[in-house]
Amino acid sequence: MAVTARAPGTAEAGAPGRSARDTSSGRGPSASAARPPSGPERDTRVRRMLFAIGGTLAALVFVVPLLLALVRAGQPGDVVVAAPDGRFLDLSWVNFRLILDQPEIWRGIVNSVVVSVATAVLTAVLATLAGYGFAKFGFRGRGLLFGLVLVTLMVPFQAILTPLYLQMNAMRLTDSLLGLVLFYTTVNLPFCVFVMRNSFESVPGEIEDSAHVDGAGTLRMIVSVLRPLVLPGAATAALYAFLASWTEFLGALTFLTDSSLYTLPVSLVNLQQGAYGQVDFGLLAAGSVVAMIPCVVLYVALQRYYVAGLASGAVKG
Amino acid sequence: MSAPAVARPPRRRGTLTHPARTGLLLVAPAVAFVVVFVLVPLVSAVGISFTNLPLIGTWRFVGLENYASVLTDPVFWRAVGYTLLYTAIVTLPILALGYALAVVVRSNRRGATVLRTIFFVPYVIGLTTLSFLMLLEAQPNSGMVNVVLKSLGITDGSTAWLVDGPLATGLLCVMVIWAVSGLTMVLLMSGMQGIPREVYESAELDGASWWIRERSITIPMLRRTIAMTVVLSVIGSLLAFTQFYILTQGGPGSDTTTVVMAIYRRAFVQLQLGAATAMSLVLVVITGLVTAAQFWLLRERS
Repeated sequence: MAVTARAPGTAEAGAPGRSARDTSSGRGPSASAARPPSGPERDTRVRRMLFAIGGTLAALVFVVPLLLALVRAGQPGDVVVAAPDGRFLDLSWVNFRLILDQPEIWRGIVNSVVVSVATAVLTAVLATLAGYGFAKFGFRGRGLLFGLVLVTLMVPFQAILTPLYLQMNAMRLTDSLLGLVLFYTTVNLPFCVFVMRNSFESVPGEIEDSAHVDGAGTLRMIVSVLRPLVLPGAATAALYAFLASWTEFLGALTFLTDSSLYTLPVSLVNLQQGAYGQVDFGLLAAGSVVAMIPCVVLYVALQRYYVAGLASGAVKG
Repeated sequence: MSAPAVARPPRRRGTLTHPARTGLLLVAPAVAFVVVFVLVPLVSAVGISFTNLPLIGTWRFVGLENYASVLTDPVFWRAVGYTLLYTAIVTLPILALGYALAVVVRSNRRGATVLRTIFFVPYVIGLTTLSFLMLLEAQPNSGMVNVVLKSLGITDGSTAWLVDGPLATGLLCVMVIWAVSGLTMVLLMSGMQGIPREVYESAELDGASWWIRERSITIPMLRRTIAMTVVLSVIGSLLAFTQFYILTQGGPGSDTTTVVMAIYRRAFVQLQLGAATAMSLVLVVITGLVTAAQFWLLRERS
């Protein structure tokens, strides 16, 4: 089988299995030659089996630890720290009820939601405006300002932590959720501006011109005319900023000292280090799962935008 | 003036709908954020590093004292050494695993899309959350790491991973490699999908094996993408903080203290902001040099 598949005659049409599928869908074998390029493989039965087995095993390596996390979140604290026994799968919602009883943790959840949603919105709006400006407008200093934004991609905030802290302190933005939002927005902006500029550059100029003739102003242009065309880019920017700020740790740890403002990861680390009394590992597991779920749900729902944006931004950068 | 609309030059049309002032106004907010929260701190860092700035109280100019004390500080150099060791351990496995995963998911086979999603999920969840979960599974006797090793007969299951420097480092490296290879995968995959299929066909007709084709076609064509993924992962490793803070707090002693953690301690535990800022600038220089050196090395052979 492997030998026949390698016969020169089949090279053009791709793998036998594929061309058969294409024929049945009425497009004929030539359609498979026009498929998007897919790397060097041609399918043979052996390769398909290797793919199925290898892929399944690899998938288990990535999925099982996350399923285990869900199980841990359902175990009472004393089961989490005991060698596995008959109680291992006696799962309940008790840890999640404990979260509601522990103001430090649910306040952390609320703070994290507020901060990351605000960051996502602000980043998407600012990156959309700037992306439009950089892509479609010619003004003096455009290259310089765009370079300025891109250079900051190369200055990691971890490396300027202390001067940044002093700066935020001087602006009364430490111990403030607003300050954290502004900080996270800055961290995410360069990449998102880049993605948005690419989105706007791919919009043909005629669309804007006809809208302009109809009397649309700049903002109306973005909101009603260009929105459908650049929405994927804006979704990428918002999701990117949300995921980056939802469990960001070092900045939150540095800029917040008032415990009522702690975000979820900071309150979990306090829980872990015993700041809220004896450490309940079941509670810690449940808190971690709460931190995990929005990332997974949002990513799975919007991954097309996210992965494409990530690749285009990073590769072209 | 009297020319028909069709003949109107595109440049004039551009300035009509795109006045320069509007453009400047559109980019101004983003630029302002970057200036206020990145450039001003970066520039002021240089000034601060020449002072003894404490968190509270008055400051004075101390010249190069901070640099002298940082550069002769064994704690700082141990942190630098440890961070470089950690980076050296994880970089190649992240690239190799990311490449292998990309090979699996780059095809149009049924299931490739699902696998793509699955392999990338740990990266999306992030090291903060994964570190908390690892903390549970690294516990002696109860943690799944120990339970599995015990059932395989490798250990007796009572290993306290996080209070031993080398063991903690090993465990952290495995976790990080597992967690972040998805990013390398996504970037390499989109690079691989951009290579036209025809490029491979003559090699296939010549009977070149899979590995020969990867080595002589895919890898050379992806050189730039590979360089970029390596730079991204190296920079990420040099800036590592969260996973160490959560899992080991830099301990035992300062065995697993990274550079960023040393800076954090110096600034916010010992309250020596001047010295910490000097350390920060050393880190800025190190990350800059690494980026430059890697691009240079990886471009050399092309």
